[in-house]
Amino acid sequence: MAESPAPVRVAACGCVTAFGDARSTHAALDRGESALRMVPVLGREGGDPVPLALLPGRALDETAPPAWMAAVRALAASAPAADWGSPGRPVFVTGSNFGVGGLYALRRSGQAAFAEWGAPPTCTERLRLELGWGPDVSIASHACVSAHLGLLQATRAVQSGDADEALVLSFDFLSPFVAGGFHALKILNAEMPSPYRERASGSIGLGDGAAFAVVSRDRGEWVLSGQSLHNEMHHFTANRADGSGFAACLSGTAGAARGRRVWFKGHGTGTLEAGALEVAAARAAFPGAPVVGWKGGLGHTLGSCGLVELAVAVESVRAGRSPGTVGGAGEPISPDVALGGFATGGFDGVVCASNAFGGAHAAFLLTHD
Amino acid sequence: MPDPLTARLKQLIVETLRLEDVAPADIPDNEPLVGGGLSLDSIDALELVVRLEKEFGIKIASSEEARVALGSVATLTSYIRERGDPARLPS
Repeated sequence: MAESPAPVRVAACGCVTAFGDARSTHAALDRGESALRMVPVLGREGGDPVPLALLPGRALDETAPPAWMAAVRALAASAPAADWGSPGRPVFVTGSNFGVGGLYALRRSGQAAFAEWGAPPTCTERLRLELGWGPDVSIASHACVSAHLGLLQATRAVQSGDADEALVLSFDFLSPFVAGGFHALKILNAEMPSPYRERASGSIGLGDGAAFAVVSRDRGEWVLSGQSLHNEMHHFTANRADGSGFAACLSGTAGAARGRRVWFKGHGTGTLEAGALEVAAARAAFPGAPVVGWKGGLGHTLGSCGLVELAVAVESVRAGRSPGTVGGAGEPISPDVALGGFATGGFDGVVCASNAFGGAHAAFLLTHD
Repeated sequence: MPDPLTARLKQLIVETLRLEDVAPADIPDNEPLVGGGLSLDSIDALELVVRLEKEFGIKIASSEEARVALGSVATLTSYIRERGDPARLPS
């Protein structure tokens, strides 16, 4: 577990989802909308329909160069201009899949153009050149806590004095390869996700997502007042049944939240066991905090979800209102789950948590000056 | 004389999961497959489900349904017998 010794600031952040930018995304979620649509799991090759939230106009199938590149370019252009990639302003690129779907496309099509997008180093190098960054670019990837990992690495670079500011960019765009993998695991199926609801079977949805955050020592109104990462090292696709992994991670942020009234933005993909364990751990670590999950509307944006949902949390505080737990039907699994939106004015901060394959957990406490 | 479907499923488990030092006849009918004496985990379950879907023409809809089906060899036998393509069941 790692806990930051001194808080740093978020000078700027933004995201792009199937709803659009952070403001559009927040507004859509607050209206209770879902961007998930039933799409054949293997794209043009068909397969079972599964709930996916793709960028407007983007097909699930890969192209080379990727169709999502325009969205990443526009997102990066919305970040503050700086000599990103220089020694004082490093870039941390994070995601869980990068362009791995390109390898599947390469196998199917034989087109060599897919290859250079199909692995983190080559994909990141293409991004670096496209976005005009210098050479000081690092890659951090650990499944669906990737964005949190990049945020913590950036925090450490700034805290240590190695960097004045750092840019964290996280992205995950869906492909038949990625959707097919989750479908094979039987957790992406024909049902829409219903996070934190009483259900007979769980199901998730997946979504396109990308986001950035600029981490700064002393610039910005948003403060990362605590960060924690924990890995259970238990099993690739399962958490310890006693919830100790969730609890261990949240304890790393609970100290920073002591004395504050916080709300809790959970991971909430729609799987049953993890959802129940997460809500129980949140209740223990942050008693009385309302719990919300947004992946019923956004889909799970995988490795980018930590930053995507940070940007939506910032918009929530700016707007004075958090969206509720979007998507699905049924009774909430706990009275702590907020199905409807609520005013954020009475709170001192928001804890944003994510979980990942491999038993990885991450959380941060975001406060506002 | 063992039930032909049960015997086939035990054979499939050993083959699919490449279990060493385990013979099909060693697998009990009523012990948990996942988390039991065979030490199978969720990745094993995934491999097994893919193989079963192909072999018997079934479609397992969710991880919860898979867990019920893979409760034991006995539950798996019942599940396949109820939902499998009759033409593919051993007689």
